[in-house]
Amino acid sequence: MANRKHRSRLSAALLATGLILASVGVAAQAEVAPPVVSKECGEPGIADRPLPNSATALQQRKRIKILAIGASSTAVLGMGRNGSPLLERILERTVKGLDVEIINRGFSGELADAAGERIRIEVALNQPDIVLWQVGTNDAFAQVSVADFEASVVNTVRWLKEHNVDVILVGLQYAKSLAKDAHYQAIRMSLRRVALAENVLRIGRYESMEVLARTMASDSGRPELEDFGLTEAGFNCMAQYIARTITVGIFAKPPKHTPAPEPGK
Amino acid sequence: MPRDANAVDFWRGFALVSIFINHVPGIYYERFTHRNLSFSDSAELFVFLAGWSLGLLVYGSSKGKGGAAALTFRLGGRSLQIYTAHIFISGLALAMLAGAAYLTDTPPILEWHNAAAYFQDPARTQLGIVLLTHQLGYFDILPLYVVLMLIAPAFVIMDRFAPGLLLPLSLGLYFTALIVKFTAPTWPVEGEWFFNPFTWQAIFVLGFVLSRDQGLGHLVRSNITRIRQVALPIVILAAIVVWFELYPDPTRFPEPKMLFLHGKSFLTPVRLLQFLALAAVFSAVYATIARWLPWLTEPLSMLGRNSLYVFCVASLLSLSGQIIRFLYSGSMAVDTIVVVVGIGLLCLTAWLAEWRQRLGSHG
Repeated sequence: MANRKHRSRLSAALLATGLILASVGVAAQAEVAPPVVSKECGEPGIADRPLPNSATALQQRKRIKILAIGASSTAVLGMGRNGSPLLERILERTVKGLDVEIINRGFSGELADAAGERIRIEVALNQPDIVLWQVGTNDAFAQVSVADFEASVVNTVRWLKEHNVDVILVGLQYAKSLAKDAHYQAIRMSLRRVALAENVLRIGRYESMEVLARTMASDSGRPELEDFGLTEAGFNCMAQYIARTITVGIFAKPPKHTPAPEPGK
Repeated sequence: MPRDANAVDFWRGFALVSIFINHVPGIYYERFTHRNLSFSDSAELFVFLAGWSLGLLVYGSSKGKGGAAALTFRLGGRSLQIYTAHIFISGLALAMLAGAAYLTDTPPILEWHNAAAYFQDPARTQLGIVLLTHQLGYFDILPLYVVLMLIAPAFVIMDRFAPGLLLPLSLGLYFTALIVKFTAPTWPVEGEWFFNPFTWQAIFVLGFVLSRDQGLGHLVRSNITRIRQVALPIVILAAIVVWFELYPDPTRFPEPKMLFLHGKSFLTPVRLLQFLALAAVFSAVYATIARWLPWLTEPLSMLGRNSLYVFCVASLLSLSGQIIRFLYSGSMAVDTIVVVVGIGLLCLTAWLAEWRQRLGSHG
């Protein structure tokens, strides 16, 4: 009996020490400043949301695993000329001692429904902390109905949350010619709705590139800059936005739930 | 003269048409291809029949006779032909994407099919395309075929000198790749080949081994009725699981998970077994189809006889179909035109290939 009491006191002391050490660790990590996004990329306008599973992974093993999946991994990860993707290099530079492993399983042309199936398999095989899912553009181009698209994304996002995997949705691409494409815009709005309703991070690639287009046009003194000039700069900005979002998400406190807007708004 | 319609050419033609339709994601008619009721799809059928055709070439025709050097030379030539075709259609696909992006002023098209790397970093990506380490989405089965034909002489030589060894070695490599999880890497974009050559070789070897009248092929033919009795429930069960989405949560499987998952890239056992069951069941129906639907067997066999040409044209037509659906907002009418015109052009391609052969034989 006395032995058990002694053991429980010891456990309590160990737990308290652990908690103190963990808080010190969190405090030390909290000092990490998110990476600065280049001026030409503008303000990404991404709502900060926590990435609790990645924060835990970081505390436990100083390592996060990111599964990149979806249409164009090059565009999302930034193409690393020295081997590793730009996103990985920014993250490792920002958080000292952090080991980032990016598992690239981008498969171009894949629709949300098929990607959802592959995400489940890749999660089972690789146990990532974050799934970075670029989704929407293919479905919009392939004329998938908004309802089907939304159902596929919601289904997969919920599955990921149930399996303690953080999700970052990377939205549709930008082009001036697509601004008046009703279906494209409907899919874009649908993804926005899903992200809000499910309380997951969404990188507004469309909005970000729109900002970039304006910045570059104004810097060049030409009111209309060709969209084609945006591509490489856009890839770099995306990697910067995502690195910033992940860093903020890992150290953020959970926000209050934001209600989803009504469809069409 | 082209050979008469037969089951192998017919099913290969069937696989080519299915691949053409499945490679236009979102098209209305994709819901009618057999993958909606099956774990495996046309890719398994295509690679299995490639192995089967190798068996027919080596053991069923005078072309396959000769020593190891002659065989290596012949199969190496075929591999080079497939490689050339792959590089050619990859170049055309990139040009089609660039053209569509410029003509419609829609730069996001440049990111379709893994093409973003090419347009952003052309020097390294061009090198990757030539080395087969960078593959465009939906243009990734020919690189597997190139590798399989390159190592095909080794399969054949092993089968000649140690016939009992080929399949165990192939399956050994298959299970090792599944358990250790190794595959061919991609470059310059870090990733993996979509079709893992270390696992997909197993279905090619199975096709080769089963095509023979000796050994396993003989055993299967002698017991085909009993095999079909076992296979039919597997086919039905798989159809129910796929249709009602009943496959278990993949995270719940024990290690090594790859043995239980339903994944295409690694051709997991569940896909392989279901495919073999499907092949056993459907090998019974060709005679009936040929008797009652000759209008179907003739054109599909013609497609199958000219599979490389047809596959190349089908890949480019699938991409055209995607662009057309984007431009004209895929509707039932647009989808019908894409499929009907596409299949028509595939038949024209096969007919032209045979017409050219006939001209050659007369000249």
